[in-house]
Amino acid sequence: MAYSRAKVSEFVIIDGNEISFEPGETLLEAAKRADVEIPTLCYDPRLTPAGACRMCLVEVEGSRLMQPACSFKAAPGQVVRTQTARVQRNREFILSLHLADTIHDRDVMEDNNPSHVHELAERYGTAGDWTTLAKQRAGRPDDVNKFISFRPDRCILCSLCTRYCDQVEAVSAITLAGRGAHTTITTADARSLTDTTCELCGGCVDVCPTGAMTEKAALEYGKPERELDKVRTTCNFCGVGCQIDLNVDTEANQVVKVTSPPPGTTVNDGNLCVKGRFANDFIHHEDRLTVPLVRDPGGGLREATWDEALDRTVRGLQAAAAKHGNDALAFISSSRCTGEENYLMQKMARAAFGTHNIHQCAAT
Amino acid sequence: MTNSIPEIRDADFLFVTGSNTSEAHPIIAMEMKLAVQRGARLAVADPRKIWMTEIADWHLQLKPGTDVWLLNAMAHVIVSEGLEATDWIAENTEDFDKVRETALRYPPEEAAEVTGVPAETIREVARAYAATPKAGIYYTLGITEHTTGTDNVYALSNLVLMTGHLGVRSAGMNPLRGQNNVQGANDSGATPVFYPGYQNASDPEVRGAFAEAWGVEQSETTGLNLNEMMKAMSDGQLKALYLLGEDIVISEPNVCRVEEAMNELDFVVVQDIFFNESCRYADVVLPAACFAEKEGVFTNSDRRVQRVRRAVEPPGQARADWEILLEVMKRAGLEQPDYQHPREIYAEMASLSPKFRGISHERIEREGGMQWPVTGPEEPSCEYLHKGGVLRGKGLFVSVEYRPPFEQEDVEYPLVLSTGRTLYHYNAATQTRRNEQLAHKQPEGFVEVHPKNARKLGIEDGQKVDVVTRRGRVRARVMLSRQVRKNAIWMPFHFPDVRTNYLTTDAGDAVTGTGEYKVCAARLEPVPDSVPERVFPGAFAAVE
Repeated sequence: MAYSRAKVSEFVIIDGNEISFEPGETLLEAAKRADVEIPTLCYDPRLTPAGACRMCLVEVEGSRLMQPACSFKAAPGQVVRTQTARVQRNREFILSLHLADTIHDRDVMEDNNPSHVHELAERYGTAGDWTTLAKQRAGRPDDVNKFISFRPDRCILCSLCTRYCDQVEAVSAITLAGRGAHTTITTADARSLTDTTCELCGGCVDVCPTGAMTEKAALEYGKPERELDKVRTTCNFCGVGCQIDLNVDTEANQVVKVTSPPPGTTVNDGNLCVKGRFANDFIHHEDRLTVPLVRDPGGGLREATWDEALDRTVRGLQAAAAKHGNDALAFISSSRCTGEENYLMQKMARAAFGTHNIHQCAAT
Repeated sequence: MTNSIPEIRDADFLFVTGSNTSEAHPIIAMEMKLAVQRGARLAVADPRKIWMTEIADWHLQLKPGTDVWLLNAMAHVIVSEGLEATDWIAENTEDFDKVRETALRYPPEEAAEVTGVPAETIREVARAYAATPKAGIYYTLGITEHTTGTDNVYALSNLVLMTGHLGVRSAGMNPLRGQNNVQGANDSGATPVFYPGYQNASDPEVRGAFAEAWGVEQSETTGLNLNEMMKAMSDGQLKALYLLGEDIVISEPNVCRVEEAMNELDFVVVQDIFFNESCRYADVVLPAACFAEKEGVFTNSDRRVQRVRRAVEPPGQARADWEILLEVMKRAGLEQPDYQHPREIYAEMASLSPKFRGISHERIEREGGMQWPVTGPEEPSCEYLHKGGVLRGKGLFVSVEYRPPFEQEDVEYPLVLSTGRTLYHYNAATQTRRNEQLAHKQPEGFVEVHPKNARKLGIEDGQKVDVVTRRGRVRARVMLSRQVRKNAIWMPFHFPDVRTNYLTTDAGDAVTGTGEYKVCAARLEPVPDSVPERVFPGAFAAVE
């Protein structure tokens, strides 16, 4: 934000309450800080507002038409109403329109990602169950990428995905194309995502309010996100320290997918990269080591009990130390393991085996 | 990092050098993209035309290994045009005169000849850097993986000190850490020179304190760093090796020598989540739990200690590393408290390390990730370092002179080989190549070759070649690319079927021992009758 934080705050009057705002702020930003709820579908704090979904329309005194709170700038003394019958009527009307443009059945709609449209419909009500529009939006059935699927029957053209792709990941791999009812989300020449500038960050999936953008692997797994448990943890790849939510099918002891915490809450601001979001197959890979192995005098490795393997470990290290001295031992710790484990590894080298020969890949 | 990741978006000038940010640190690259959209100017110094150069105001496409020349020439511009922060230097630093003297011997015109970066570009970037208060430097292994790695870092820190871009939000000196917990591993003392919390291992008082805490006398012999360990292994000084979650026969330079030495060891323990390549030399293999199966903390690039939480059970009999290590210690005769949870281990470490004394699992649960130093339970998390004065007291200028890389191209090996990462795989790729989706996007290793070099050698895009250095020979597919300079080639090191580290040199930096992965001399030999196939790049901004 370009505005200065030093300026004296001004006030708008929202629903009769004086609410401070800083120059340049929108009505929605001011309302958010004062915990006034204004529903949105196409808003994301990381993106320039599109004013596309019309969910956030509010009454502004002096203005004949209702105004989108997401893009309408707050002004001193402005009187704003977010709870009137007119505002509510609009919300119901807009939700009915969006529902007519998607799938009515919430269970079908939420086969993988949650639907923000249905959530709002439940919360604010609708203007009635209108017919479902005939789908004229083209998909990309030939897109062979194994990461992300676009399902045109769920899209409401909020353009969160394309704006995210332009403004945050900044690779502009997907775009709005076509006109009127034929408008859809596509790539250059409708190519597979893997043959475009797409870097497979999956941000389009994260911002999508309807599940039109969805993860192929999780969809295949077949359990909706609302039935999974989220475990907040830290990504295990690079050094950014992104906070991720492992979505776990606890009964099956299975990590199904990774989602990002909301924007503005963690160091990664709601963003993830291809590795953090998609490279989690390894957790349950069949190649995982599951049993200790020890080498037989004959030369081969064979399965062993923990007791035998740990015993061999200690005896092997102690024998080498006895014969050649403590400094004939070296301990290579791991920048992939936790802080506590690295602490124990160096304690083991220094206290249990008497050597400072302890390092890890920080040298590379 | 002296500063924090969320500060990057508010910077007004970014100097990114030796960092392929959008591939190796995509989320930090997003912060940089935000800054650029806001109007920040971006200078990228990198031998390759990486994605970030697409949105950069300047690309300083230097010849690999000439960093000191380039950075000293920037210093030259600053001191000769009087752009240095005179008052700040006087108040906060020492030994500036030496650096000024040295810098004056590195004029931009000569730098242009050595580095290939036009003198005027060097001037513009140096001026913009010096004149912008919120100017941050961001670097990674392109700076450190050289025999002159330490010099490169000093040359950068000289720029920071002479402009006073330290202790300022959105400025500073920011090495972007490569691994999830490489910061934490060092913090925890998994390094020969430091006990936990960067307490000097050669200081008798420190040793005494740990001897008392742990109840065991501490050795007075200086330990070996990783690079020295590899050499000591070859020399027969090392006899036993305990490897925790690191596949050294993929990741170390000049791997052939490492493998020979591994064969000679008396005893090798490997503790890992997969049967990695190093397991072939192991006497004992211990199955470990992965990050999703255990509790603990990782410390990221901006010194942020964050929680790792258990989401699923480990497979079979696999156990968390901390459980295994405690058990080994007990069996080796070192009595250990009966720890049930890593929070207790963290508490032991924090009690022995003033820098982390105020951090605990409990506090992280309450307040979120905490950035050290946090010296007491009431101390807040630290967003950026050196606020209100340099931590050391006086920032030390260190004058550095250019030294050529260990190996330079010649008639026999006319190309410069650099190695690095791509967006789609991670290090030894034990995790990422087991992902079907990523394997589909980028299934195999490759070598990037400039079209002009390829034409001369009669090499086609997608055909196989042998990449040959004095240490080894590796076969890989060619990707014609204008990302690389002419006469330079580039390879990722992720792929076990293209073992790039058979080629690299283990000549290391004199201080850190870090191998020179970024420069060695190589040649290409076309493989006869190789049928060209499609090659899958990382970011393919400048691929033919």
